[in-house]
Amino acid sequence: MRIDRRQVMFGAGAAALLFPQSALGSQAFTDSGGRKVMLPDRVEKIFASGGPAAVVVYVMRPDAMIGWPRAIRAEEASYLLPEVRDLPKLGMLSGRGDTANVEVVLRTRPDLIVDFGSVRPTYISLADAVQNRTGIPYVLIDGRFEATADSLRTLGKILGVPERGEMLARYTEDLFDRLDRALSAIPENERPRVYLARGPNGLETGLRGSINTEILERAGGRNVADAGGQRRGIVQISPEQILVWNPDIIVTWDRNFHARIQARADPVWASVKAVQEGRVYLAPTAPFGWIDRPPSVNRLIGLAWLASLFHGDRFPFDFRQETRKFYKLFYHVDLVEAELDTLLTWADGRPPGAPNPR
Amino acid sequence: MRIELRDLAFGYPERAVGSDVSLTVEPGEVLCLLGPNGCGKTTLFKTMLGLLRAQGGEVLLDGEPLGQYSRAEVAQRIAYVPQAQTSPFPYTALDLVLMGRVAHRGVFAGPTLKDRELAMAALNELGIGDLAHRDVTRLSGGQRQLVIIARAVAQAAPLLVMDEPTASLDFGNQVVVLTEVKRLAARGAGVVLSTHQPDQAFAVADRVCLMRDGRIVAMGAPIETLTSERLEEVYGVAVSIERTRSGQIVCAPLYG
Amino acid sequence: MKADRTFWIVPLLVLLTVVAAAVGLRTGAYPLTLDGAINALGQLWSGGVAQTAEERVLLDIRGPRVLAGLLVGAALAGAGVVYQGLFRNPLVSPDVLGVSAGAGLGAVIGIFLSLPALMIQVLAFTIGLATVALVYLIAVAVRGRDPTLVLVLGGVVVGALAGAAISLLKILADPYDQLPAITFWLLGSLASIRGTELWNVLPAVLLGLLPMVLLRWQVNVLSLGDEEAKALGVEAGRLRAIIIAAATLMTASVVAIAGVIGWVGLVIPHIARMLVGPNFERLLPAAMLIGASYLVLVDTLARSMARIEVPLGILTAVVGAPFFLWLLWRGRHGWS
Repeated sequence: MRIDRRQVMFGAGAAALLFPQSALGSQAFTDSGGRKVMLPDRVEKIFASGGPAAVVVYVMRPDAMIGWPRAIRAEEASYLLPEVRDLPKLGMLSGRGDTANVEVVLRTRPDLIVDFGSVRPTYISLADAVQNRTGIPYVLIDGRFEATADSLRTLGKILGVPERGEMLARYTEDLFDRLDRALSAIPENERPRVYLARGPNGLETGLRGSINTEILERAGGRNVADAGGQRRGIVQISPEQILVWNPDIIVTWDRNFHARIQARADPVWASVKAVQEGRVYLAPTAPFGWIDRPPSVNRLIGLAWLASLFHGDRFPFDFRQETRKFYKLFYHVDLVEAELDTLLTWADGRPPGAPNPR
Repeated sequence: MRIELRDLAFGYPERAVGSDVSLTVEPGEVLCLLGPNGCGKTTLFKTMLGLLRAQGGEVLLDGEPLGQYSRAEVAQRIAYVPQAQTSPFPYTALDLVLMGRVAHRGVFAGPTLKDRELAMAALNELGIGDLAHRDVTRLSGGQRQLVIIARAVAQAAPLLVMDEPTASLDFGNQVVVLTEVKRLAARGAGVVLSTHQPDQAFAVADRVCLMRDGRIVAMGAPIETLTSERLEEVYGVAVSIERTRSGQIVCAPLYG
Repeated sequence: MKADRTFWIVPLLVLLTVVAAAVGLRTGAYPLTLDGAINALGQLWSGGVAQTAEERVLLDIRGPRVLAGLLVGAALAGAGVVYQGLFRNPLVSPDVLGVSAGAGLGAVIGIFLSLPALMIQVLAFTIGLATVALVYLIAVAVRGRDPTLVLVLGGVVVGALAGAAISLLKILADPYDQLPAITFWLLGSLASIRGTELWNVLPAVLLGLLPMVLLRWQVNVLSLGDEEAKALGVEAGRLRAIIIAAATLMTASVVAIAGVIGWVGLVIPHIARMLVGPNFERLLPAAMLIGASYLVLVDTLARSMARIEVPLGILTAVVGAPFFLWLLWRGRHGWS
């Protein structure tokens, strides 16, 4: 009997090698886009189809990663597990602006392609297109920030790590609860008016409701770039508009811009309330951006950090403890003191000049 | 000013057109160049003006090689009337004629009063003074040709080189131009012009140069050079050279 | 008489430019009062630093922006006029030799490497100049029969290469961070221009303008074509090199600070030519004045249409196209 089973398995394994499309003993799963996808029993290799997906796949199953959508920078690498640092850059395969070479992807034989982000009909049809083209099951998971906890649970289940998914989901729900409780005590007019400064001049920003600024808004800030909800997305503004808005807080992750503002070199910015009160904050971006870049679960730590910046004592936040916990829980790394210091000083406006040796 | 061509070979970088051309033009002399299409008249003119590099031999202005002179200096000595091209820009006739005075000024200078006077005088001399403020792109081909000639006149150079100056002109204007040529020669300028009409050579030329395939076939006084045999040899048509009752020599093709 | 009519046009255009600048200074998101404006001017006169927000808006934001609009518009239109005369072609713009593509490449490289804003401008300027130098060297090396044609073709090729490089960098760029910045830069904007940028590029623009003004008579002759120009006594090849260098200097300077703004260098020269004729002595100042007022007005529109900025490169074409079509329809043909 044993021999028979081995023979069967051998034959099945050969069949799997010859016909990678036919997933062996698969289970049916309905993804966030309502698509019925046949999942493989064992998921050993996952291809993350874009930036946000790469983050969640790393968070969930770093052992199954086969590559990154874009190259990892030196200063980011030290905040990641050693095994993933040297994974090849494979490009994106989300159906929009693809940069991945499909044959290269196929050669690595992933069991599953994970996409994390918008589930609008466009992206559903793109997901179908990629799945048909490559023959690899492609799951589309809801990337909306509000749905993070549920998405983490779902991912845990389909990637074979349900307990981990549950743990991360609980962390997320706790954080959201804590935040909402604090916010319920803070009326609208006591919430700070916030401006997200992007680009080398700081004149690029995200309108209220766009994915790029939703962390700021979720943390209880009032995005000054408000177009009445008519439009979303990234826009350019004139410096006069900054003066008119006169935000209480400015957040950025562009180091050049931050340095210039801190140096009070520009008289226009120097007259803005946020600059005068010293409330211009630089978001760390290692290994992933704290408030964006990409818009994925990496923003959870940014959410807590921003909430403490915005509301002070009303949202207590022990930087070192919370950061250490988050990085351990999500990114699988134990931060040493030096690294924590780096992140702390980074968030304090002094980004690192050289990569952190690990 | 005297221009001399010594064993001149001329052509384009990829193609030789002519060679062994030697001739001189003295002040006050009119030299007519005749020859079939493609015999190299225009190429020869461009080489004389320094617009094309000579492939052999030399061009001498008052005994000095052409290369010794700057462009402005050459332009002060030789005025060129090319076959009329269409300029895409709507300059006025006066503007265009004024450009003929550029060589007499410094690089940064604009037209002086004297320049303007000379320009208007040139236009009047050619009978197109009323076109002075007209847009040249709206003029007929013939009128444009007259403007170009006026420009050469305004340039006040001691030598004029004219490439088929009567080509697009009506009968009356042809006479105007040829009269002007004689007038210029009488004032001491040398004129080299190419033409397809042996009659014109007989009318204005002191000497005639017959060319074929880039070489000079014959040169000398019109009556001696433009014989009916020579013309038949060069053009391939039978002609009869006759003296009219008023004493002019005409060349009549024998159709039939 | 036509000569008399064009005589008055240039002074009228000066008036138009002043009006445009005034409109630009008055319009904006920040409310200004007349008192505030007068105080601000007083501050400027006495050499003091802007104290109140109103003064800051006028002296540090709107003032430089309006001046930038004038400078960029004038430079692009002036360069366009020169290039169209030089190449005897109505479809030519200052971009024909690739300066905008090169400057764009420089800026995109700067953004891609996350360099500070000043470095991005320096890169744009130098690579813009280098691109035209490369095209010119190619033309000299090829030594074709028609020098202008070789220049144009060289510009097309090198410009295409620069464009390909830009596209490549766009793919490699971080889509959440650098790509939007690249896109906005390539669309052109005067939003981030301050006094310092203006002072930085003004010398370069003036240095480019000087030969064009001094040599304006010779440029007229050059527009007849190389052969005729040479026969009339103009050193065509040398003049062309100087003029190209001058126009490129002007263009590269303003593209470095304002991004790629199309249309102005292509169509404003036509409008100017329709008004004053092709004589460079009148055409250059006319085109520059029209370009200056046009860009200031369009930029004022761009920043006051909505709370956010409409990219300038888009608006210049959208506003200008119908106007130009109307001018064409009125019956003027060809170059006139």
